[in-house]
Amino acid sequence: MTKFSWRKTALVAAVVPMLALSACSSTGGRPADAGNAAGGGQVVSTPRMKVALITHAAPGDTFWDIVRKGAEEAAAKDNVELLYTSDPEGGRQAQLIQQAIDQKVDGIAVTLAKPDALKDVLKKATDAGIPVVSLNAGESVSAQLGAFTHFGSNEKLAGAAVGSKLSELGLKHPICVIQEQGHVGLEARCAGVKEKVAGTEILYVPGTDMAQVSSTVTAKLQATADADAIIGLGAPYTLTILKAVTGAGSKAKVASFDMNPELAQKIADGEVVFTVDQQPWLQGYGSIDSLWQTKRGGFKVGGGQPVLTGPSIVDKSAAPDVLKFAKEGVR
Amino acid sequence: MNAKQIDQQQLLKDEKDPLTHTPVHLLSLANVGKHYGNIVALTDVTLAVDNGRVTCVLGDNGAGKSTLIKIIAGLHQHDEGVLHVMGEERKFGSPRDALDVGIATVYQDLAVVPLMPIWRNFFLGSELTSGFGPFKSMDVQKMKDITKKELADMGIDLRDVEQPIGQLSGGERQCVAIARAVYFGAKVLILDEPTAALGVKQSGVVLRYILQARDRGLGVIFITHNPHHAFPVGDRFLLLKRGKSIGYYDKKDITLDELTAQMAGGAELAELAHELEQLGGHGDIVKEVQAEVAETASAGAPTQLRS
Amino acid sequence: MTQVAVKLKAPDERVAKRNPFQKLLARPEVGALVGAIVLFVFFASVSQTFIQPASLATILYGSSTIGIMAVGVSLLMIGGEFDLSTGVAVISSALTASMFSWYFSTNVWVGVLLALAVSLTIGFINGWILMKTKLPSFIVTLATFLMLTGLNLGLTRMIGGGVSSPSISTMDGYQAARAIFASSVNIAGVGVNNTVFIWIALVAVASWVLLRTKVGNWIFAVGGDANAARAVGVPVKATKIGLFMAVGFCGWILGMHNLFAFDAVQSGEGVGNEFLYIIAAVIGGCLLTGGYGSAVGGAIGAFIFGMANKGIVYAQWNPDWFKFFLGLMLLLATIVNLIVKRRADSSK
Repeated sequence: MTKFSWRKTALVAAVVPMLALSACSSTGGRPADAGNAAGGGQVVSTPRMKVALITHAAPGDTFWDIVRKGAEEAAAKDNVELLYTSDPEGGRQAQLIQQAIDQKVDGIAVTLAKPDALKDVLKKATDAGIPVVSLNAGESVSAQLGAFTHFGSNEKLAGAAVGSKLSELGLKHPICVIQEQGHVGLEARCAGVKEKVAGTEILYVPGTDMAQVSSTVTAKLQATADADAIIGLGAPYTLTILKAVTGAGSKAKVASFDMNPELAQKIADGEVVFTVDQQPWLQGYGSIDSLWQTKRGGFKVGGGQPVLTGPSIVDKSAAPDVLKFAKEGVR
Repeated sequence: MNAKQIDQQQLLKDEKDPLTHTPVHLLSLANVGKHYGNIVALTDVTLAVDNGRVTCVLGDNGAGKSTLIKIIAGLHQHDEGVLHVMGEERKFGSPRDALDVGIATVYQDLAVVPLMPIWRNFFLGSELTSGFGPFKSMDVQKMKDITKKELADMGIDLRDVEQPIGQLSGGERQCVAIARAVYFGAKVLILDEPTAALGVKQSGVVLRYILQARDRGLGVIFITHNPHHAFPVGDRFLLLKRGKSIGYYDKKDITLDELTAQMAGGAELAELAHELEQLGGHGDIVKEVQAEVAETASAGAPTQLRS
Repeated sequence: MTQVAVKLKAPDERVAKRNPFQKLLARPEVGALVGAIVLFVFFASVSQTFIQPASLATILYGSSTIGIMAVGVSLLMIGGEFDLSTGVAVISSALTASMFSWYFSTNVWVGVLLALAVSLTIGFINGWILMKTKLPSFIVTLATFLMLTGLNLGLTRMIGGGVSSPSISTMDGYQAARAIFASSVNIAGVGVNNTVFIWIALVAVASWVLLRTKVGNWIFAVGGDANAARAVGVPVKATKIGLFMAVGFCGWILGMHNLFAFDAVQSGEGVGNEFLYIIAAVIGGCLLTGGYGSAVGGAIGAFIFGMANKGIVYAQWNPDWFKFFLGLMLLLATIVNLIVKRRADSSK
């Protein structure tokens, strides 16, 4: 058996360089370097400060790339040294905050997905005089936990926006696909949709396995023939759902939350009707920039209220513009 | 000690039907030793194995018997001395090497894979195949038939060669392993304590298979700590103690009593009797041991071949 | 069954006839088969949609994405080892193919072949370290699992600048590769995904290897008793390393499916799937300690998973309970296996 496989390995080792020489793809692939535009701007004259951005991002989620990009851009402009860390588990996220306090940072931007796990350590931070701003998740508990403001989109509001748009299009029976069972934010999105469209059904899929996402969506479409819309709660999931819908020959319209370049393209092409963008770049940029503003003049943006970064509906008419920015990785 | 060296000429001299015409042993060890780090497991062991002869290796636990077979079977390599197969010096790198020159080992526990059917065990490592290249498949029916026939020839008749070998009795399992070795043309058959875990009757059955293997012309190495099992079937006896050879005898030069006495070690037996007496041991047992001591003394030192 | 009289000794009173039914019961996958039939009848009775041809095609597709890996994992488990790195290794393979061909703008087939080499190498390294160190496979493959998870994330960001591989759908060779790994075949008006056929073919090949070749004999032997196998001349190390490479091969197929079905791969995917493959193998009657099981059993285990997973959707139930039922099924399947095996063994 080994011998056999070895032979195969050897064959591959021999074939790959040959193919590599002869078989270049004429289309697609990595674009030739066009020079990086980022980081060329003016930098403010305030003394260098250190800010920690601590999120609950699971490794490998495109959404957080955009948040981080926004934060990095604000940091570059505001002469801020950005310390980015993340851990999806509440207890370990708290430890990351503790580490930031130990490093004597000048500000903490934090996502409050698991507020109970973080409240003690955030109290330590505010006691130490470190300004805290929250982003993305935890709008309702933000002030209570000592953050002076919150940058984010209200999930339920975003869901309701999708619901309204669906009713506008005359769709009555959407399926809301949740890729992580028990995730509060995702449940809130679907609840928002259901608030506006009573016929909404919820489908749970295992988000760590695209093949299972695809087959479960197909199964659901077969089981509910009268479904007229299906909503993905994240750009990569929507793209998979779109394929499943096409494969199953269903007439259901596809809508989405969040954004990535491929999704923007699909919206521009009319295959996906619209998406609701919570504009994550703004969340990253805003939270870091507001901490700098605090340092610069003791400003507190938001007036004790959360700063909403969404929902912003992107449909076919808006897609071409958004697509351009999505390719840069800011939408 | 009037040591008498066994040599091939002398062996073949009285033989009416010599099984070998070559003046060399099938397998021979000369002054072989083995150590694991600084622990000496075996030193200066010499023995020979010939066609149609049973060489018994006797010794108590820890005497170095298993080290000896591991060297012959290719699981370990010796550090001292030389090992000859058909007059050619060899050092085995793996059990496969030993198998290739015709040395098959039947281990006490390791003989078989219990969950696998008898026929799969029988042909394990030497499967019969037909077909070409990657499409070679096993000739299952033929393998089952051969297994059944070979076992029947050895006197074991099984209902179903498809049953897991773990369901057979200990004796039957030993016999399957012996039959396997015989079928695959083993020239030397090593049996590691085949009777140790068996009852009297089952042991008798296994001893009979040893003789059958011998009569088929195999050179058998029979490892045991029981002289009563070794003496009836053995042609030559090597006694090991603490990794050293304490005697190497031809059958005509030794009796069962002498063998037993050598095994037990006369001096130690006397010491044991003394100890038991001091401890206020049971009278009967003390007497029994004393009687045995006396017997050992009267038997005297037997003619030793080489020590 | 014919009863052959024992010639040497008196007839053994333990010898009794075994009828064909008992013989069937002795097969390793019988518990899973019974479970699968019960589950099928159950879902068919509660949901009309469940037994529609199109639904069955979906169930088969869902099962195949678990089942393809379960083939390799079952063989490995019969060989006495298991592999925790399978879930992420699938993604590693997909990422290798897409990142390589994207970065160097080559024909995607170059990436596909490179991914095969990488998958086989991962398997080889797993097996080789295991054989060299003699550590339990749990530890070794847990380490590879973690390392691969990190490599997937780290290299994807380093090369592609994000956490998801860039789409390769417009590149040369994509359509051909997609036709092989991720298209569907129309059978009587129902589109059946290619992975279903690949899955069935893999199960057939694995069963043949296991039951009809000497390599199969060795697999049973190294899992049942590696020392005994070594003593009779079975190349234990080569067999086990080969098994890990076979798992790598299955991972490559599934990785290519994931890549060409969805164009892009997220680097954090795959974590946790290794347990699904192991669950499928165990439900299918493979003994965790090795030496016993079948490739068909692993396939039935994957099918049970697919039926339960999709059946809940067809029956319109609350999926909150799915994991609970999966666990219960695992427990029941293993207990049934145990009882059946004991009964078969005792009725000799």
